[in-house]
Amino acid sequence: MTESVNTDPSEENGRERAPASSFIDRADLGVAFVILVGCGLLYWTTAGFEEVSGLFAQDVPPEFFPRLVIGVVAVLTLALPFEQFFVRKSGKYRGRDGTQNIRPSTYITAACLVAVVASIAFLGAALAMFAVCLALPVLWGERRIKVILPYAILMPLAVTLVFSYLLGVHFEPGVLGLVLR
Amino acid sequence: MEPIVQGLTLVLDPVNIALVFGGVVIGVLVGALPGLSSPMAVALLLPFTITLDPVPAICMMTAIYCAGTYGGSITAILINAPGAPPAAATALDGYPMAKRGEAGRALGLAVVSSVSGGVISLVVFLFAAPMLAELALKFRPPEYFALTVFALSMLASISGGSLLRNLIAGAFGVLLATAGIHLTTGVERFTFGIYELTEGIGFVPVLIGLFAMAELLAQSQALNVSYERITSVVVKLPSRADFRRVRWTILRSSGIGTFIGILPAEGATVAAIVGYNEAKRWSKNSHEFGRGAPEGIAGPEAANNAATGGAMVPTLALGIPGSATTAIILAALIMHGFRPGPHLMQETPHVFYAIFGAMLLANVMFLGVGLGGAKLFSRITLIPRQLLWPAVFVFCMVGAYAFASSIFDVWVMVIAGIVGFLMKRHGFPPAPLVMGLILGRLVEESLSQSMIMFDNNWFRFFESPIVDGFFLMTVIGLLWPLIKRRR
Repeated sequence: MTESVNTDPSEENGRERAPASSFIDRADLGVAFVILVGCGLLYWTTAGFEEVSGLFAQDVPPEFFPRLVIGVVAVLTLALPFEQFFVRKSGKYRGRDGTQNIRPSTYITAACLVAVVASIAFLGAALAMFAVCLALPVLWGERRIKVILPYAILMPLAVTLVFSYLLGVHFEPGVLGLVLR
Repeated sequence: MEPIVQGLTLVLDPVNIALVFGGVVIGVLVGALPGLSSPMAVALLLPFTITLDPVPAICMMTAIYCAGTYGGSITAILINAPGAPPAAATALDGYPMAKRGEAGRALGLAVVSSVSGGVISLVVFLFAAPMLAELALKFRPPEYFALTVFALSMLASISGGSLLRNLIAGAFGVLLATAGIHLTTGVERFTFGIYELTEGIGFVPVLIGLFAMAELLAQSQALNVSYERITSVVVKLPSRADFRRVRWTILRSSGIGTFIGILPAEGATVAAIVGYNEAKRWSKNSHEFGRGAPEGIAGPEAANNAATGGAMVPTLALGIPGSATTAIILAALIMHGFRPGPHLMQETPHVFYAIFGAMLLANVMFLGVGLGGAKLFSRITLIPRQLLWPAVFVFCMVGAYAFASSIFDVWVMVIAGIVGFLMKRHGFPPAPLVMGLILGRLVEESLSQSMIMFDNNWFRFFESPIVDGFFLMTVIGLLWPLIKRRR
């Protein structure tokens, strides 16, 4: 592989990480905080479940199991910020593998894919596939138009033909598809 | 005898043979491509197999599973980039051997070891699964609950990752499985007023999102990665001297791989690592390891392929997946109307024998495909990722959509993909989440039934020696890393 990867454990995710001797890992603390907030919200949601009589629920109400699992997740999460302290001491820390910042290309890729999915109702499935096959290669640095254009046309066409005619999948025609028809 | 004949007849149907062959080719291709994996391929294939007859559909998936595990070794040996995590250990000695001009020998050793491991584990599978299923027939809800808790605790060591993060991911998967209508009371849970969630979160879009879309986003982080390739490849069968040198390694690693595969949630990656370490420990030439030792290729390859047969044992006999891919195969069995677990052996035993036959056939086929097509398959790394990954996303979209013709499922796939990508960055692997999602309903059902049986008295769980045994194994499994460190 030709890419160089930052392996310095003191610098992770583009900012200085807690030194190995630190008791709490700040990045893990953030993750734990997010999970615990999520657990709190989900626990609060379980309080809103429809109430049923004990007889009908046979003393196992619908919120019983989700609350149990939320509790397990929360208890495990409480230990997360301290994991690196205990595990790294043994030289076997196998936590995060994100050794670099999330790159702009990833944000743009995700945004592009979300936009394509959001536009399926309007564009229809075939045109959405065309959009992916056109936009993503360009976004990822492919500049040969002689390659991109046939690929963007043939790929969706082949997928539509195979899945629509051979496997009987009904694709969304989309507003544009209906207008074009 | 009748189910055996019926099952094997189904496998030997020409259409089925063609599907298994297709599965082998797809499996080797997907296994060979860094980033693509057999769980991803099986997840993407799952929605489309719904239109196929159940048995051929399952057979095709198992073929992808077997071949995908081997496929990773091609790129591990030729470009030092394991196509799949189970092949990571193979690269340690495979690539150095290839670099000194013996790529064909390394590939030959890998394919023969893989096939040997696969076939040996299938023999164990053939006898162990019915015996385990027979035993499981005695299980009542408390025993099933204890078994699923044990299986979930085994997630702790899955993929060799962080114990804590694996458990959190597994529990999160179980929590996801609670969304939808509660079966006992009919109460809606975590539906947030979204109609599509009343039937729960679908396996298919979540699987596709976690395994394929998340990997696509990970690939967008590494657009400038390129590989150094070894091009001159003529695959050779191992010489008699090589064979004599690695035969005990193959046998030992096959046993290790099968055993690790049988353990719930432990898959081919763990098996390969243990297989490599044991090969090194027992070898008279341990100083050669890391510099192209034949045992260093045979050990992990026999072990990771043996884990495939082993992993099918709990999947079919108990309904508890042995690995990430078997979790998806389990979901496929459920979708096709089968009841994985001891009832599968009782009600549809021909399916069990058909799966055995298909896996055996797949192993024989990838011996041929591996020997004849390794050079060709190594060339697929030349496909620019700028063209490969948009195609993967198209299949993600179509796969998520096709199962229920629902755009909502495509959204679930996208969200699962983004969540999966972020989880991976913070050390939470997708496999435990998938296992939790698939086991979630079984855990809840068996716990609820047990609580009703025991009048909500938790202590009555300990009245059953089987439950006690599973709980004890759970505690030992969870504490094992601490015990090991103390020693």
